Parts: sequence; structure tokens; C-alpha cells
Amino acid sequence: MRRSVARVVVSASAVALVLGACAQGTGGGSDDGTGAGEDAGEFDPEAELSGTLDVMGFGAGDEIATTRVERAEEALGEGVEVQLIEGDLDIQQFLSAVASGEPPELIYANRDQIGTFASRGAIIPLTQCIAGEGIVTEDFREPALNQVTFDGEIYGIPEFNAVQVTMANSELLDAAGLSVEDVNGSDWEAVSAANEALKKGDGNSLSVIGYDSKLPEFLPLWAHANGTDLISEDGRTAQLNDPKVVEALEWALSIYDDQGGFAAVKAFRDSADFFGAGNQFATNTLGAMPMEQWYINVLNDVSPDAPLAFDAVHDKNGDPVAYASGSAWAIPKGTENPGAACRWARVMTEVDSWVAAAEERKRIRAEEGKPFTGVLTGNEAADEAVRELVEPSGDEVWDAGVTAMYEANDNTFSLPANPADSEFKTAWQDAVNSVLNGQAEPQEALDAAQETAQAALDDAWQKWEQES
Amino acid sequence: MSTPSLDLDRVRDTPVVPVTGGPVGTPGAGSPGPARNGDRRPTRWTAGRIAIVAALVALTVVFVYPFIWLVSASFKPRGEVFDNKLIPETFTFQNYLDVWADAPMLLWLGNTLLVTVLAAVSVTLSSALVAWGFAYFRFKGRDALFGLVLATMMLPGAVTMVPVFLIWNSLGMVNTLTPLWAGNLFGSAFYIFLLRQFFMGLPRETFEAAKIDGANNWTMFTRIALPLTKPAMIVTLIFEFQAAWTDLMRPLIYLRDSDKFTIPRGLKALLDQFGFGGEWHWEIVITASVITTIPMIVLFFLGQRHFVQGIATTGAKG
Amino acid sequence: MATVVDSTGSEERARAVARRRRGRRDTRAALLFISPWIVGFLVFTAWPVLNSAYLSLTDYDVINDPNFVGLDNYRRLFEDEKIALALGNTFFYAAIQVPLYIVVSLGLAMLLNQAGRAAGFFRTAFYLPNMTPPVAVGVLLLLVFNGQNGLINEVLGFFGIDGPNWTTDQSWIKPAIILTSLWSVGSSVIILLAALRNVPQELYDAARVDGANGWQRTVRITIPMISGALFFVFIVNSIAAFQTFTEAYTAFFGSGNTTYSNDAALFYVIYLFQQAFEFLNMGYASAMAWVLFVIILIITLIQLKVSKRFVYLEGEQR
Repeated sequence: MRRSVARVVVSASAVALVLGACAQGTGGGSDDGTGAGEDAGEFDPEAELSGTLDVMGFGAGDEIATTRVERAEEALGEGVEVQLIEGDLDIQQFLSAVASGEPPELIYANRDQIGTFASRGAIIPLTQCIAGEGIVTEDFREPALNQVTFDGEIYGIPEFNAVQVTMANSELLDAAGLSVEDVNGSDWEAVSAANEALKKGDGNSLSVIGYDSKLPEFLPLWAHANGTDLISEDGRTAQLNDPKVVEALEWALSIYDDQGGFAAVKAFRDSADFFGAGNQFATNTLGAMPMEQWYINVLNDVSPDAPLAFDAVHDKNGDPVAYASGSAWAIPKGTENPGAACRWARVMTEVDSWVAAAEERKRIRAEEGKPFTGVLTGNEAADEAVRELVEPSGDEVWDAGVTAMYEANDNTFSLPANPADSEFKTAWQDAVNSVLNGQAEPQEALDAAQETAQAALDDAWQKWEQES
Repeated sequence: MSTPSLDLDRVRDTPVVPVTGGPVGTPGAGSPGPARNGDRRPTRWTAGRIAIVAALVALTVVFVYPFIWLVSASFKPRGEVFDNKLIPETFTFQNYLDVWADAPMLLWLGNTLLVTVLAAVSVTLSSALVAWGFAYFRFKGRDALFGLVLATMMLPGAVTMVPVFLIWNSLGMVNTLTPLWAGNLFGSAFYIFLLRQFFMGLPRETFEAAKIDGANNWTMFTRIALPLTKPAMIVTLIFEFQAAWTDLMRPLIYLRDSDKFTIPRGLKALLDQFGFGGEWHWEIVITASVITTIPMIVLFFLGQRHFVQGIATTGAKG
Repeated sequence: MATVVDSTGSEERARAVARRRRGRRDTRAALLFISPWIVGFLVFTAWPVLNSAYLSLTDYDVINDPNFVGLDNYRRLFEDEKIALALGNTFFYAAIQVPLYIVVSLGLAMLLNQAGRAAGFFRTAFYLPNMTPPVAVGVLLLLVFNGQNGLINEVLGFFGIDGPNWTTDQSWIKPAIILTSLWSVGSSVIILLAALRNVPQELYDAARVDGANGWQRTVRITIPMISGALFFVFIVNSIAAFQTFTEAYTAFFGSGNTTYSNDAALFYVIYLFQQAFEFLNMGYASAMAWVLFVIILIITLIQLKVSKRFVYLEGEQR
């Protein structure tokens, strides 16, 4: 009968509601200062530590990681049980942990995520930790620190740096009477001219890409090279429709249009064997492009004889420039062992650890008969120390690559942390994509993006100000 | 000639006889006589038959191609993974060795097997129970309740993920394997729906007859309904096996100890190690995909035998 | 089928009482069978669902407590251009993909039905893509549909057709995704094949005796007899089509390894996922989920009404 069905449903709903009430997580609670950042006594390099240290988002894969991990574990002492929850930081994984009131003691995140986490109180400011454990922040590269500094406080300890260098096919350059200076970005007209000279075919019959301006990902680079940034230094005002940004987008787009449109270039680019011996440089199907520095190692591995030329990317004033990104250690709010977390972060990123890791890598590579090409650590002092270990391999081409990489590393910039990281990035990427897909003109796309981004920023900053 | 009147009612009343295995009979092939048990007619290669086989083979190529590509790529060194050659130019086992060497695969395999078997068996049994409740009985509110079952499929899982996590957390089961399968003890809408359809396809006379013979609800369920829908149950087992085997989301949010990891979770950890700065070791990704898939293919192929039974219906009284 | 001939008033009353008692017994028995689902539903579904309904009225980032904002989220939904875009994409996809999917899976199932003993092998082949991890399928999508040298365009070129840029051209991205989704017809083929095998051979024999030809047999016997399973495939795949996520997300919104995306591939659940886990607007995402729920509910109800006329379930005949 309907009545008995109804009775069952009603009485059992009561059960569900009760159970649900028990299941409410502690949810973090932004107003409840859970002592973590307040007790300077907890951060002391001499203190004996105990407890557990769950590290989320870090995997100890290669020797650069394992060497440092060993040192960190040693510094923590035997009282601390370290558990690496391997695999890149997954937001669903992290949020579930936070919601249940048991976040990991330490997370390893992308630097451009720090602003969002900080502004929502998911991670704690590291001022006490830095002072207590004695982390030498002056050692770190300023752009890297800027990325993890929110509202004047540091929320992350930077690790690693990824930068861009200009990579070019020297044979194609020679054949066109050009040099790598013509494609390193110091003169946009020269690059456009080089693009014309180097490309072969057009549209669907494109057989050689002249220059690849790498949209959408490198818009920040081009904007900066043109003299402005996508967001103001204090991270509050979007500058997406700044005339210089529009100009940058228009120029980068024109590179594609001159070759028959983005779609054609992308299809041709995607069909290349990027990681293999049939890559674009080895097959002479690409003139030049800016690219992240790790690709140098790949090329060295799979096509050591390819005709390559390297240089840093230069801005319109002729100075080298690179848009840096990387990872950082951060301490979630509400954990029970911030002391251990802080010490781990300190040891993983200090100069001596980097040097030890670099020496280990150099040793292994020597055994394989390969040169040691350096490591970009995000820590300036460490970079210098590691660079001393780099010896010229005797092959000019690859040495030039390493030189270019370090030059770029010395001249990086980053976008400051902001509380609406994701929305901001999505806004400008959507704009660029719509332009690339032919759906909008640069000015109108960036105008629309400016509106969306600024609204998101205003919203997020307002929330942050209300909380604090 | 008068148009043949296809009186469905009349046809239904004809007593049904069991038909086992073998070809159902090609329309228009002029098969000699009705199909009988153990009757193995030689296959007649008519034009129709050839066309069908040709079509099947062509389609098989289309469907099998992605997997062949994957297997082929897993035997290639990194530089050749995307070189568009079906036969690897450089044949290497290294990828498989790398994956096995770098990870406690046996441990993960064991975990995955445990979770998957529990998940598949529990969901099949519980969904069958519930489906039977909806299929056989008539009661007020039945359709509304079944609508509710269906409705649970309509809300995207992304928004219920965190609340469900909190529930398991309050039960103290986070960082155990239990949340990965125990939800299946209560049936799942998809399979409830599926099995209900099959139960409803069984003729009511069978059950009337059984009732007269003195069977109660439980016996009718276990002795008659279940055996008659064995194919559907096997299908449920296999589908859920596949879903549980490849599930990444649950292990990702519930498991912290790497010795509790299942294969998809373990492989993610492995792959992310190589992913620094956007560099992906595709050959490892692909090899991992192949390793994940092979056990299922084997299981599927073996389980197929049980689909072959066409129907065993009322004729043979159990 | 016994017919009630003549009855006095008291006999009728007695029968009515018996019927009511049977009804109550039926209800109790039914609820007993359904109880596992009810328990699971209340604990693992009802609470999260109610919770998400509540969250849709809040501003919630999972990290901090929810902040009640009333109908703000829903108001925003109406003004958000991306919602309209996402809904449009999703409707377009569902409208084309579902019928296509059903036709293809039915066609394949019928083909397989003729394959006799070899069906096992072909069935494994057709199910193979379902067993391939979605990550791999997403990668293959980009490879196979590559405008310059992807397999599809090469085959088209063979026939003298200049294939479009599937992966970058607005108008061709959804067709590419739809075609890719057809790779996973395997699961529906299996279900339909099981149903086809359940059709008593007797019916075909009797029909052939009546002089019915192949087409008539298909339309008058096969389709009605498997209508239960067809109905299932139709409903389940419609619900799934509106929630399509994985392959498109992997290919176009990548797990961080691609910044190029395309508006044409922004499906509703993808946008929902972004709102929930990238922008940390879980409240807004919950509102989105509920809107989708209502949409799917309405569409399913329409489907149910329409199908009632066509679906024949043997066990439902009284």
C-alpha cells in the first residue's frame, strides 16, 4: 500500500538526516585560528620533531628528488613518519581531505595555484615558519617569490623554475640568410620577416612552419616583451585589454595568419613526432619557436645531430626575458605538524640539498656518457652553486643551449599571486582561443576577457578583505 | 495471395521450447527444419552470409584499431611512439620492464582484484534483488519509487563526491579499501534498471505455475528468475568489473597509503613522476594502459561462454 | 487463462478481500527485496543529494563553511553566457549522438546475432574500446582526427574527399567527438545481443510459416520482443549523453598538458567541473547540477510517456 511505502521512506529519511549531520566535516573554518601559524616556538631547526608528515602532490621519481628527500628525512629525525602521497596534486583529492578536517601536513602545488589557496585560507602564511626555521628567502629568485606572496605574506617555498628559450633550426636559418638574433624576439618585424622567409607552403599545404609564436600559452611572455603585464603588480587589476597586450596578441596572431591560419599550423604541428627522432627540428619542418627548457634535453636524447641554434627569448628592448613557472611547498591550515612540514620545505629547497642532488645527477649522467646540463632550482644561490658543476660538453650547439637556458633563468618574470588564479587564466586563455578559432577579433576578445577577469578578481579580493 | 496476418497474440500462445546455442537462423536462408538441441547444421555460405561476415570483419578492424595502435606503441621506444607505424620499427620490451620495475605492480594488482571482485559480485547480487522487487511485484507507489531509482542517475557525480567522502569519513573508513566497493552492496541504478528489464521479460505463467507448485517468493527468485536471466547477470558482472578495475577517482580521494593503491591509482603516481614541466613519458602511459586492459580482455573472453546460452525458458521446468 | 464466469455478491467480496491481502503481502515482499537499495539510497544518495541542493543556495568553496546566498546562484545561471553555450553544445550532442548510437548498436547486435559461434570473437572486438582507458581514447581522438595526417582524413583522401580540420574547426569538433563516442557501442551491443538471443526461435518459425518476410519479422517480432532492452539502452544513453565528460575533457581541456581549448567542446558537465574544482565555486556548480537534473528528468519523463506505447514486456501482460 502507498501508506507503508510512505512510512518506510519517512522514517528512514530521519535516519539519513541524522547520519548526514554526523558526516558534516569541520570544513576548515576560516575564523578559527588553529594555532598553526601563531606559535613561533614550533619552528626551530634544533627542535626534536615527531608525529607524521603526509606530503601530498610530490613523487620522488628521479635522483634530483630522492637525494633531497633523503636529506630532508634525515633532518626530520627518526621521530617523524614521512608518507609521500605520490602523484600530482589533484584538487578533488586535496579538497576532500580539507573538507574532512584532515588535510595533509604539506602540499606540493604549482606556484600559480598558491594565490587561490591562500586567499581562501586553505594554506597558512609562512612568516613564522621562515623566521623560526631560518629559511633564507633572499636566496630565492624574486619572480618566484612574487608568485607565492599574497597580500604581503609568503605562502609557499618555491622549488624549480621552468623558462623559455628560443630554439631554431640553424640549417634553415642559414639557407634564408638569417641568424638566431632574427628570431629571438628582440625585433618583432624581423621575426615576421623571418617567418615569411622560413615558411614553405600555406594553409593546408604548409610543409615548413616558419615561426611558431606558441599561442595561447605564451601570451604573458609576448605581453611582457611588449612592455606590460596581464595583471597589475599588486594582483588586483587585470590589464588584459591594455593596448600593448592587444598589440602583442595581434602580432603573435599575425605570425599564424601569415602561414594560413592557426588551424593549419596547429594541425601540422600536432602531426609532428614531438618526442621522437622525427621531431620538427630533425625533419627540418620548423624554423624557430620559443619553448620550455626541458625540451633541450629531449632533443639531445632523440636527435643529437639535429641542426639547432639556441638563444634566450628577448624583449623589444633586446634584453633576455622568460616567463617563469614552477612548484612550491605550502602548509595547509589545520594540520598538526607544521613544524615538520616547515623543516621539510627548508631542507628540500636549501642550497646544500640542491648541490647534493646536482652532484648525484652529474655522476649518473657521466656513467651514461651524457653531459650534465644543470638544474633550474628557483633558488638563485643554489642556481649559481649548481652552475659551477656544469662543464662544457665540447659540443657548441648544446653548450649554447645550456647558456641560453641560464641566461633566461637570470631574467625571469612572473605574474603575481592573485585570489582568482583559475578564473583569470581561463578568461585570457578563452580570449586567445576564440581569436585563434576565428570567432573574435583581438580587441573585442580581450575587452570581454578584461570584464570577466576583473569581475572575478574584484569578487575574490572583496571576499578576502571581508574575511581578514 | 492474401497478406499474411501476423497475429502476435496467437504466436505468443504457442508453447515455447528451449533453444540452446547455435545460429538463430538466417532469415531467408532456407534452413532445413526447425532448430533442435544438438542439431549442428553445416554453415551455408550464401551471399547473405558472406556479406554479413565481411561487414563484421570490416567493423572489427575499426573497433580493434585503437587497441592495436596502443599495443604496438607500447613496444616502441619513446622516440617512436607517435611515428604512425603499426609495426614498431624498434621493438622493445623496455617499457614493460620499466613499469614493473618502478612499481609494486603485484601488490597493486592484488588490491585491484580484491576490490573489483567484491564490487562486481556485490552489485550483481544486490541489484538483482532490488530489480526483482520492482519487476515481479505490484504495489502502489512502485512506479514512483522506480522513478526515484532512475533519478539517481541524473545528478552529476561531481557535486555529490565531497558529501559522500564525508560520510565514509564519519564511518572511519577513509584510507581503507572499503569505500571503493562497499557502495555496491546497495545496488546501483544502472544495473537495477537493466536487470528489471530482463526480469520483466520473463513470462508470468512460469511463476504462476511455480506458485501452484508451492514456491515462495524467495524460491521463485533464486530458482527460477535468476537462472533464467543468467546472461544479464553475467553482463552486469563484467560491466561492473570493468568499471571498478579502471576507477581512478575513488582511490584518489580515499587512499593515502601507497601499499593500498589500486592499479589506476598506482599508475597515476608513476606517471606523474615523469611529468615535470609538461614532459610526458607517453610510452609509459601507453604501456600502463595496455597492462590495465589485458586482464579485462581475458576475463571478458572467458565470460563470454555464458552469454551463448540463448534462452532456457519455461519448457524445461526446474 | 481462466475466466471468471458467474459470481454472487459474497464471492466477489471475498475475492476483493483476498486481493487486498495479496496486495499488502506483495508490498511487504517487494519492499523486502528492495530494502538494500533503500538503505543505500538513504545513506549514500539522499543525504548527498539533499546536501547538494542546500549547497546550491550557498557560496561554498569546500575549504570554508558554506555561506547562504539564497537564489543568487540560480540568478547567475541565467546571466552566464557560458551556461547557454554549454547547454547548447550538450543538447546538440545528445540530439545527434543518442539516435545514432542506438541505430549503430542495434545494427551491430543484429549482425552479431547472425554470426553464430563466431559471435564471441566479434563481441570481444566490439567491446574492446570500452575496455580501453579513457585517457588513451582522448589521446587517440586527437591523433586519428588530426587535420593533416590523421587516419580519418587519410581514408577520406583515398576517396578524394578533403577532410576538414576535425580538432580545430568549430563545426567539426562535435562530430569528431560524436564519432569517437560510437567506438563505445560495445556495451549496448552486448545488452541488445543478449535480448536478441532471448527471442524464442519459435516466434520466427511460426512467422515464417505464416509467410512473413525478413523485414516484417524484424519489425513485428524482433523489435517488440527486445523493446525492453531497447528502452533501457535509449534511456540510459540519453542520460549519459547529457552528462558527457571524459573523452572531451581529456582531449580538449586536458589534465594540464594543453592550453588550447575550444568552445565547441565545452559540454555542460565540463563547465560544471571547472566551476566546482578549478574556480572553487562548489555552490554554483551544485546549482548547475540541479538545473541539469531537472532537464534530464523532464526529458526522461517525455521518453517514458512516449515509450509506453511501444515497449512490450512479456512479464507485464496480465
